[in-house]
Formats: sequence, structure tokens, C-alpha cells
Amino acid sequence: MEEPSLEVIGVTKSFPTAQGRLPVLDGIDMSQARGEVVSIVGASGSGKTTFLRLVAGLEEPDSGALKLDGREIDGPTPERSLIFQQFGLMPWLSVLENVLFGLATSGLPKDEQRDRANDVIGRVGLQGFEDFHPKALSGGMQQRVGIARALAVEPRLLLCDEPFASVDAMTRQTMQTDLLHIVTQQKVTVLLVTHDIEEALFLGDRVIVFSSRPARVIEEVEVAIPKPREHSVRVSTGFQEQRAMLWELLQATA
Amino acid sequence: MGTPPGDRLETSEPARLRAFARSPGTLSLLILVAILAGWEAGGRTGVLDTFFFSTPSAISVKAWEMLIDGNLLFHTLRTGYAYVAGVVAAIAFGATVGLAMGWWRRFGDVVDPYVVFFSAMPRIALFPVIILIFGIGDLSRTIIVFLGVVFPVLFNAYIGAKQTPRLLIDVGRVFGYSHNRLFTAVVLPAALPYLIAGFRIGVTLGIIMIVVAEFLAASAGLGQQIAVTAQSYQIAEMWAWVLYTSCYALLIVRGMDYFERWTMRWA
Ligand SMILES: Nc1ncnc2c1ncn2[C@@H]1O[C@H](COP(=O)(O)OP(=O)(O)OP(=O)(O)O)[C@@H](O)[C@H]1O
Ligand SMILES: [Mg+2]
Repeated sequence: MEEPSLEVIGVTKSFPTAQGRLPVLDGIDMSQARGEVVSIVGASGSGKTTFLRLVAGLEEPDSGALKLDGREIDGPTPERSLIFQQFGLMPWLSVLENVLFGLATSGLPKDEQRDRANDVIGRVGLQGFEDFHPKALSGGMQQRVGIARALAVEPRLLLCDEPFASVDAMTRQTMQTDLLHIVTQQKVTVLLVTHDIEEALFLGDRVIVFSSRPARVIEEVEVAIPKPREHSVRVSTGFQEQRAMLWELLQATA
Repeated sequence: MGTPPGDRLETSEPARLRAFARSPGTLSLLILVAILAGWEAGGRTGVLDTFFFSTPSAISVKAWEMLIDGNLLFHTLRTGYAYVAGVVAAIAFGATVGLAMGWWRRFGDVVDPYVVFFSAMPRIALFPVIILIFGIGDLSRTIIVFLGVVFPVLFNAYIGAKQTPRLLIDVGRVFGYSHNRLFTAVVLPAALPYLIAGFRIGVTLGIIMIVVAEFLAASAGLGQQIAVTAQSYQIAEMWAWVLYTSCYALLIVRGMDYFERWTMRWA
């Protein structure tokens, strides 16, 4: 493997609760190459969001280290932009303004920000909706805005927290295909967490399996399906076999 | 196919009339006319004592005179000046301090006990003190309006800033916003519905405060005129002042409605 982009070494994290400290992450080790798409699967409540928040810099680990391109992760930055499970759109801003919100700290000239925002809005399939407010959009379209906002800043590492968990099953599959096309085309390095095994396999070059809380890495598998992938790979034998294998693993840890 | 064009023309006029007659606005107006007619009839037949209630016709005459001779304008300006000054100062101060308390938590914790103390205090108890110190001029009235308006505005801003969704703040942080920049980019707009609710309570309370203040001490103004005409048994004039004051209050509240709809058009 080439020099790693993301390096995580022995990261632990716990939260204070009324019954004492709740350990959530129990010594996570992982690394990721530039351009690689890594999916983390884990049961609900296993600590996936917590892990992603640490990588985003929104929280600090109790011990261990997180590095991106050799530099210690210290606080949030658009270099590690995040697609939020609950979208996190500003309801008072239009689609275009929400995407520009992410670019506001980029230091780019205003017209360049606008060009980039319009370009990425087109790529996620929202052209014509630039002036709509989130209220007027379906859940799937709202998350397209969330994706556009995170992509517009051209992050070194794109973080996705169950981005499609709140959209209906049909829309989810379309959006997974769309996202895969975009990140493959732009060679974006992606770290995705999900409890959806199929999503993890469909999008990932590699899948990391978290144990139930407190989370440890219990398995890592290369996804045996070449890219570019189309929707149809979901029914291929290889896909189904890996899916069954991961399902067993998750059952065993539950 | 449908009805021939001739038929449609014949039925559309009465239909439109019926729709007009049934519209809520028309009905509200009808009720008002009925009340005024009842009041007038009651006064003329002696059912209502005109010494206390006057009659709409007599009141209209007085109201018209005030409008023509400039009395209305004069007293409106005296009241309006103090009201606007007090409300603007209270909203500027209350919104700023309230939002700051909600976002810069240490500042909020330090200031909180004072805010609770002053807001719990019956502020009418301060009126005589204020009048004693600042006299019976515009300044006293402005201060009294300020005190009435500032706390609801401040509290709402405080709560509004505190309830800013954690998620939206995290979004701002991920995209590189500093604590101070988050304030203008996220906290302020997220608190807007609360701010506006505070403004609404504030401007209405302000009207009450200034009229009461003018009862107590003023050389001019709408409230002062109500008090003076009542004390000298100029009942028609008194009612005219009361009705004018109510109309202004109504205008302010309606204006607030439009302002609210305008600022919250994304919701
Ligand atoms: N700030 C916090 N304070 C206390 N406990 C927390 C905090 N954040 C997370 N937890 C706890 O840590 C555990 C893991 O939470 P986390 O959100 O990381 O799980 P998850 O794998 O993302 O779950 P889901 O699939 O439901 O999104 C949960 O039990 C949660 O209650
Ligand atoms: Mg989660």
C-alpha cells in the first residue's frame, strides 16, 4: 500500500454518564490510502458516529492518535468535510446558499465560490433547485444538498455518516449509485460509516467491521468487485457471498 | 360539454357577491357595524348612559375635530417619539445582550442573576422613582417603555441562542467557522423566530407601558389626553382618544405580522 492518507492508532473514547464512564471506542487501529473508499459497518450504537466525529475533529480521543497526511488531527476543518446523517442544512438558506455556506471559509474569490457551488449542484442533480429552501425539498434532495456542500470544498477526506439512513429505500439506491460515480470520477478519498452491509460493500473498496460497543475492529475485507460499479453488481454472486459473510460477522458480535 | 357562455355570465355575478358576503373580512366588518349601531341606538334610547358611554356619532365628531385641528398629530408625535425611542433602544439592547448571553456562556452565567432579578421585579413599582429622577418629560417615558420592552426581548433572544441546534453548530465547525463567526452565520438566524416572538411581546407591552406612564406623569401624549379628558368628564373626547390609541396599537400589531412573515419567508 502507498503512504497512508488517514492513520488511526489505538484510539479510545468514553463518555461520562450518570452510571460512570461509558467506553465507546476501545483501541481503534486503521489506515486508509489516498483515493480509497473505506466503509465501516457496525451495529446501531456501536460508536460509528463517535469515531467519525473524532476523525472530523469535532471530538478529541481519550488516548491514541489520528493523523491525516502525516499531520495530527486537531479540530475540525473543511479538509475533512462531513455529510451528516441528519443533513444539517440551514433552513433559512436556499440550496445555493447552503452550498456556499461550506465554501465561505475557503478564501476563494466570491465568483469562484459561486462557480464551484453551481458546478457541484449540477453534479448531484439539483440544477433548477438552486433557489429552493430545504423545507421545499424531499429528504433525498436535502441530502443531495448535504453531499454538494461537502464535495464543494474539495476535501482531502470526505466523511459520510450513514448519509442515506434517513431516505427511503428506492431513493437510497439511486443516491448510492450517484455518489459512487461522483467519488470515483473525482478520486475522492472517502470514509463512510453505516449499519447497512449492502451500502458498505457497494460503495467501499474495503470494509472494516466494528464490534458492538465498545467498538474494536474485528475484521477488514477487500471488496472483490472492480470499479466502476453499476447497480447490477448488487445481485452478483461475489457481492452476495461477501454480504452473507459480513452479516455472520455482525451477528456474532451482537 | 359544460354550460354555454351566456349562462356562465349570468351566474358568475351573484356567485361573486355571495363569496364576498361570506368572506371573513366582510363578516368582521358587519359585526363592527352592528356594534356601532347598537351603541348608537342604546345611547339615543337611554339604554346606555351617554354620560359614560357617549355615542359613536358624538365621538366621531370629536375624532374628526382632533384630526383637523392638529391635536391628534401633536399628541401622537409626543407619544410616538417616546415609544419608538424606547422600543428601538430596548430591542437593540435586549437582543444583543440576550443573544450574547446565550452564545458566550460565561458571560451569560455572570449576567443571569441580574436579569432574573430585574425581570421578576414589578417594574411599575419603579415608575414613581423614574419620574422623580427624570421628571415628567420624554426621557422618563422612554425609560419606562424601555424597561417594559427590554426583558421579553432579552429573554427570548437568550433562549433562542441557547436552543440553536447542536447539529447546525457542528456543521459550521466542520466548515471552518470560528466561534464568533458561528454567531452571525448560525446562532443569529437560528434564533430569529425567538427574537421575533420577543419583539412581538415587547412592542405590545410597550404600548401599555407608555399609556400608563402618561396617566401618571406627562404634559402631552395620547395617554395623558385620555386621563385629562376623563378627569374633566369630556366623555366623547375621551372615547375618541381611546379609540385612536387602540387603532395605533392595532396598526403596530399588524405591522408586526407583516414583519414576521417577511423575515420568516423560508419557514
Ligand atoms: N456526547 C455523548 N455523551 C454521552 N454518550 C454518548 C455521547 N455520544 C455518544 N454517546 C453514546 O455512545 C454510544 C455510541 O454512539 P454513536 O452515536 O457513536 O453510535 P452509532 O454507531 O453512530 O449508532 P447509530 O447507528 O444509532 O447512529 C451510544 O451508546 C451513545 O449513547
Ligand atoms: Mg450514528
